[in-house]
Amino acid sequence: MKMSDDEIFRLEVARWLRAHLRGEFECLRHRGGPGDEDAHPELRKRWERELARGGWTCVGWPREHGGRGLSIAQQVIFHEEYARAGGPGRMGHIGEGLIGPTLIAYGTEAQKRRFLPGIVAGTEFWCQGYSEPNAGSDLANVQTRARRDPATGEWVLHGQKVWTSLAHESQWIFVVARSDPESKGNRGLSFLLVPLDQPGIAIRPIKQLTGTAEFNEVFFDGARTAAENIVGQPGEGWAIAMALLGFERGVSTLGQQMHFAHELDLVCEMARVNGAASDPAIRARIAQAWIGLKVMRYNALRMLAGAQDGHLRREAMMYKYYWSNWHRELGKLAMDVLGPDGDVVSDDPTRTRLQQLFLFTRADTIYAGTNEIQLNIIAERALGMPKEPRFEKGKS
Amino acid sequence: MDFTFEDQQTAFRDAIRRFLMTEAAPEHLREIWETKSGRSTELRSKLADQGLTALSVPEEFGGIGLSDLDWVLVQQELGYYAIPDSLSDTAYLAVYLLTNMPADVALKREWLPRIASGKARVAVGHPVNPLVADAELADLLLLWHQDEVHALTPAQARLTFNPSIDMSRRLYRIEWTPSDKTRICPANAGRGLWEGVLDRAALAAASQLLGLAHRMLDLGIDHSAQRKQFGKPIGSFQAVKHHLADVAVKIEFAEPVVHRAAYSLARGHALAPVHVSHAKLAAGEAAWLSARKSIQVHGAMGYTWEADLQMFMKRAWALDASWGNRAFHKARVARFVLGNGAALGPDATFN
Ligand SMILES: Cc1cc2nc3c(=O)[nH]c(=O)nc-3n(C[C@H](O)[C@H](O)[C@H](O)COP(=O)(O)OP(=O)(O)OC[C@H]3O[C@@H](n4cnc5c(N)ncnc54)[C@H](O)[C@@H]3O)c2cc1C
Repeated sequence: MKMSDDEIFRLEVARWLRAHLRGEFECLRHRGGPGDEDAHPELRKRWERELARGGWTCVGWPREHGGRGLSIAQQVIFHEEYARAGGPGRMGHIGEGLIGPTLIAYGTEAQKRRFLPGIVAGTEFWCQGYSEPNAGSDLANVQTRARRDPATGEWVLHGQKVWTSLAHESQWIFVVARSDPESKGNRGLSFLLVPLDQPGIAIRPIKQLTGTAEFNEVFFDGARTAAENIVGQPGEGWAIAMALLGFERGVSTLGQQMHFAHELDLVCEMARVNGAASDPAIRARIAQAWIGLKVMRYNALRMLAGAQDGHLRREAMMYKYYWSNWHRELGKLAMDVLGPDGDVVSDDPTRTRLQQLFLFTRADTIYAGTNEIQLNIIAERALGMPKEPRFEKGKS
Repeated sequence: MDFTFEDQQTAFRDAIRRFLMTEAAPEHLREIWETKSGRSTELRSKLADQGLTALSVPEEFGGIGLSDLDWVLVQQELGYYAIPDSLSDTAYLAVYLLTNMPADVALKREWLPRIASGKARVAVGHPVNPLVADAELADLLLLWHQDEVHALTPAQARLTFNPSIDMSRRLYRIEWTPSDKTRICPANAGRGLWEGVLDRAALAAASQLLGLAHRMLDLGIDHSAQRKQFGKPIGSFQAVKHHLADVAVKIEFAEPVVHRAAYSLARGHALAPVHVSHAKLAAGEAAWLSARKSIQVHGAMGYTWEADLQMFMKRAWALDASWGNRAFHKARVARFVLGNGAALGPDATFN
């Protein structure tokens, strides 16, 4: 019997991962996912370079930009095999999944030449500078200011970002800043690429309820970036920022689902070992979780098929709401499966993973658009319902 | 039953509330969390000064001789302020165990007055919990072994500290050897006592969960009044209001269930264990909902170490699983409801 190209490809991925996710990288298996971001950051950066050498970063990007140009079906296979092998949480995901695709779509040729290779090679890491103390759900209220230095043409930034994931591990930050000082709301914003290692920038970690610090405050006090490091025109920052969020719902959602599937496996494994699986209520919830996972998978595949014409369909708007609520519930299920001593810390790695899962998933319905904002978007944009008063013109 | 408390009882509760408001501010709790023992002798002696260690110790042993009903109100306050102390284990559970021990048990005369005066800490080891809380600082350990009650000093056992997600919990794995010397009560008398301990402990947890639910709701209300987005307090958005109003409904409806259980325990009602399980479930649900909604309205702030909310959430999550988790208490309720001859009809409404 002859194997299909996709089957051959699957074997190739699995074989490569088997051969490379070992030795010094062995300890990274299943590590560094959400809630575990501070696991071995340096080693995980080396792993990014190892992936790059094998041509396994940016697998969905077009070849002309250094990607592997895989079809959607093959990207799915890659993510499945990566998750199956226990591939570690990707340090490079903000570059590969968010800013890279944005630059490919909206960047200048010079920007693509300057920035895409570092992302593909796993040598330059990025973080996302959107939220500010007074701009969370109301992102358009960004107050960080950017002005041109008339002498050099450089952009000079003053202000503060907050909740910036992985800023302390990154070289670059993409910033939504107010370049028209007279402007309000989503006009007058610009989308800037700013190097983090400079005197005008201070990064302060924020300790999370997990006790670790994955996100940071980033302060700009006269920070500078070259004139050409603007994506789109001055004043087009909002449109670029929103387009970038669209990429968040790309193929990486399939990788995320594989990760979820692995977590559900861990929950089941724990339930079998400690006897929780004999409790009918737990059994019913595990079955429900499995059903939810399948629902997400079919919808993601449909969403990807629909995204090829460049338009996000209704289900894409709904996806964040669905997965985050599903995942939060999985976290609670994990805690209930752990049972009477669920809060007790131990060196059993499965228990630790499930506790991290529980704690981290408390934030799922908050970051990348809260539940409430997602529901407003679904109601207003997908269903065409009357807009909230906050969208009225002239009101801030 | 009558759901109103006597003036004296609510006045006492109010006094405790005022006291804890000043003595157990979140900044202070954080300081206690950071210490090695996780406990404050100063706070404990102040709790004793308030009469809390003597609350249910019989008068003949130097106590005030109050009942489960008085405790239930105090426990709600202990929960609201997330008091990191073994007060409840010592002054409620151990006192119950010792008081109800056969009269000839010498330990009773020795320890009850010491507990009442605030000079002793006692840890209680029940098989429903894998670990024993506060064992290291205890002067006395009361441990279950095949329904017998055994008394040891911590020096007679091997204790291993086991951290919890909730930093105010100090849990220990205990290895020890039961012997005739450590046994203070045989199994036939012990069985009922241990059931009584479980019910009281679960009731204490339920009341504390209710207090915690209240606290998390209050934190959510405060935050949503102060935090502005889109030029308005987020509390003015209907979605945010509805979250918190939902929590209020849950708490309001869980409270009488908890009080009912306390009343049943105090009166020795035959269905007290079912009432207690019901209370633990209702209060646990309220606390989970309150944690979930409160962190949601806090946004990213609620996910930080700095925001006080995390202390109360962790306490709630841990308490909900201790002294019988939800599966355990649901099974107890189901056994009753599905049992032969359970009185469920209209004439049993107030059972
Ligand atoms: C783990 C984590 C990682 C993050 N990483 C990053 C990052 O890398 N980069 C970055 O820029 N940001 C990041 N964020 C920030 C995230 O995007 C914000 O938390 C989110 O946008 C919500 O903003 P907020 O926290 O200020 O909450 P708020 O906007 O203050 O919201 C508080 C509550 O009010 C509700 N609310 C607000 N407005 C309305 C309304 N109009 N109608 C109804 N309800 C409303 C919200 O839904 C929420 O329940 C991260 C957050 C977390 C938790």
